[in-house]
Amino acid sequence: MSNSNNVGIKEGISLKPSQGYLEETVPPFTPFLAIEEASRCLLCYNPLCSEGCPADTNPGDFIRAIRFRNLKGAAEIIRSNNILGGVCARICPYEKTCEAACARSGIDKPIQIGRLQRFITDYEKTTNFQALDPPKATKEKVAMIGSGPASLSAAATLAMKGYPVTIFEEKEKAGGVLSYGIVPARLPQYVVDEEIEYVTNLGVEIKLNTRVGRDISLDEIRKQGYKAILIGAGMQISKTLDVPGKKLKGVTTAVEYLAKARSKDANFNAGKHVVVIGGGDVALDCATTARLKDAESVTVLYRRTREEAPANRQELEYTESLGINFAFTLSPAVFEGENGKLTVVRANGTRSKSAMELEADTVVFAIGQQPEDFSKVIEGIGFDKNNFITSLENGTTNIPDIFVAGDIDQDSIKTVVNSVQGGKIAAQSIEEYLTKGGK
Amino acid sequence: MAKHADLSIDFLGFKCENPFFLSSSPVGSSYEMCAKFLDAGGGGVFYKTLTTTIPEECSPRFDAPRKEATPFISFKNMEQTSDKPYQDNLDMMKKLKEDYPNKLIIGSIMGMDEDNWEQMARDYTALGLDMLELNFSCPQMTYEGMGSDVGASVELIDKYVKAARRGSHLPLIAKMTPNIEKMEIPARAAIKAGAQAISTINTIKAITGMDFDNFTCLPVVNGKSSISGISGKATKPIALRFITNMAQDPELQDIPLSGIGGIETWEDAAEFLMVGASNVQFTTSVMQYGYRIVEDMISGLSIYLAEKGFDKLEDFVGIALKNIIPADDIVRDFKIQPKIDYDKCVGCGRCYISCMDGAHQAIEWDEEERKPTILEDKCVGCQLCLLVCPVYDCITPGKILFKEEDQFGKGSNTEWKEDAVNKHDVIVGKYDRP
Repeated sequence: MSNSNNVGIKEGISLKPSQGYLEETVPPFTPFLAIEEASRCLLCYNPLCSEGCPADTNPGDFIRAIRFRNLKGAAEIIRSNNILGGVCARICPYEKTCEAACARSGIDKPIQIGRLQRFITDYEKTTNFQALDPPKATKEKVAMIGSGPASLSAAATLAMKGYPVTIFEEKEKAGGVLSYGIVPARLPQYVVDEEIEYVTNLGVEIKLNTRVGRDISLDEIRKQGYKAILIGAGMQISKTLDVPGKKLKGVTTAVEYLAKARSKDANFNAGKHVVVIGGGDVALDCATTARLKDAESVTVLYRRTREEAPANRQELEYTESLGINFAFTLSPAVFEGENGKLTVVRANGTRSKSAMELEADTVVFAIGQQPEDFSKVIEGIGFDKNNFITSLENGTTNIPDIFVAGDIDQDSIKTVVNSVQGGKIAAQSIEEYLTKGGK
Repeated sequence: MAKHADLSIDFLGFKCENPFFLSSSPVGSSYEMCAKFLDAGGGGVFYKTLTTTIPEECSPRFDAPRKEATPFISFKNMEQTSDKPYQDNLDMMKKLKEDYPNKLIIGSIMGMDEDNWEQMARDYTALGLDMLELNFSCPQMTYEGMGSDVGASVELIDKYVKAARRGSHLPLIAKMTPNIEKMEIPARAAIKAGAQAISTINTIKAITGMDFDNFTCLPVVNGKSSISGISGKATKPIALRFITNMAQDPELQDIPLSGIGGIETWEDAAEFLMVGASNVQFTTSVMQYGYRIVEDMISGLSIYLAEKGFDKLEDFVGIALKNIIPADDIVRDFKIQPKIDYDKCVGCGRCYISCMDGAHQAIEWDEEERKPTILEDKCVGCQLCLLVCPVYDCITPGKILFKEEDQFGKGSNTEWKEDAVNKHDVIVGKYDRP
């Protein structure tokens, strides 16, 4: 299998992508390439890239460290701020954050900041360098619900301050969206596993197959001596549209589709003719999954234009390079089927009278997600009509010992990097709360 | 086709097709290698230095330190003289001269004692070579009384040049070592003893870098290493100063010079010619890029000379010597203030950092706008900002201010004005911007 950046389509009629489903799309930098890229950096005074990161990563400092061959120092800069440095290096929307702020763009093109971060976190791993050295966990016990990026980030932050942390995870694998909701071409599972191991090496315990509200109640958690509880349960429910025929076999959601593709790798059926509805990164992940899992035709339907699509531009271009069709300013009108199975998707123009008919055995809704209902699990918590938890300041809630971070937080920006930051902020609030004696 | 100037030039009575030669080194250590270079357009070769006994070599034997992404900033080697049998080399040199009668073929000698020098000179002369180079300068010879120790000793030079002269009637070129403060002294001795020209520099004794696990210098040879000679781009500034010193030395003024040291482009070569070398030699760049680099040297230099209107390459040789003057004689009554083109500025702040930390705190930084402003009263015109700016032609030489005549030499209180009484024409350079 090729490991090249320009993934193309194999010649001939099979039209199979040359890239495997589990293969990472972007090749890593070698040390020489990393130093070469770092030497393109203008080493700005008070660099704007360092103001562009939602998680407060300081690219100006770590790129300078690479430039001056202080690679382990660079690892320390990244890791001490973002426990999921290797994950974020792969899936962050740099073009909208650090790289958008890069002054080098004034000359040619921005420094590949994410790729440099990935190089450093890989380097940290290959050299067995431990950038973080946690203290003994002697303070109050903290519990977390869900093992996605927000909880992992909060757990690492608290572990580094001496708090013992336990994460309760309902699934058989930790990582939340990282393990279930992103195509491996963008985020290989080993990277997720390594970073989770990083967190557990700091002393954080993760209890798998343990759903709070089913296997353990909130009261039991409190009784076991946990003095603060963070909800980082993410968004587990895909939104759908009320389209006639949505009950047909073959109509599914992004959460389900991506999770199945990742967990039951061998016998997952991607569908032959797949239509994905949505215009964000999750929609692209679904389309890429379908394509790399050998769907013959994949079409993304999006109600707005290409320019308005929230998806990362690089990912959009990559998806297009895989031979995936895009139909913009179209919205599904009706799903038709035979014997209860989906056969046709009809779509209408959102800004014109255009109409489209697509042969399809699979439709994937990727138009956004929302959390599960937590009102019965955590009684008295404030939440809105879409199940998002109402946060007060810095991840606190209306219940003093309950905190919230990540996508389930009503006020959060729904990206991994923002969840990392949300986790850090909530961890600070938890520390303040516990330092004041839990009041 | 663009206009190309004729690059032919005389060297000790030999009409060279162009001034580009291989220096005596591994790149010219066999018939095939030399032939390939000559076929690529080279003007001649200094064949790899021979000794009558074959030295033992180590492995590895090179280091090529990097700066950021650039390898071969300099190049360290631990090689000695030719690793081929003496007679085989003599046969190859003879054949080269027979097959390439119009190219300059020079043999390089390193003798062990006077008899050996004389005998080798005699052997070489019998081959029909054009000239002989006497290698007084290899810093990594393991035998006593050979290599760069010779080049530092006026007595040894005198003895060995005379010995070579006894063995040969051919022109003799003394290859000098840079591991010395004043090269003019041994160079004068070589000429006085009977050499006709000087070639320099040979490699500079150095340590390029250290190994962080074995705690020795590079390259690591079974856990140990040695000081040895470096060549390559980093040595060029040192080589240019030695050539300049000799070209400006009254006792060496009419002595032809062959320039060596870090030459990889036509511009590098032209620099040596400007300070008085009649031709240039190179090795490191060939080791890195191959013989083909001579094609761009020929093309680049001939286009440049045609554009500048030089009819003969001879007219270009030494043209800069009159403009390289003692520091005392530099005019110091004006300062050129840099000028920032804000349309080009990307707001990186590098000029600000360098001026604050490395110069005269004469740039103000607007954090909001990310905009540097030059403070005229504080700026001394050193132009460090211009050199660190990463944007092409964003900071350029601007306004010229002159010292008020009556305040000459008053130091820090000097008043600077654009239209001072002693205002005069100023020639402004543009650094190395292509």
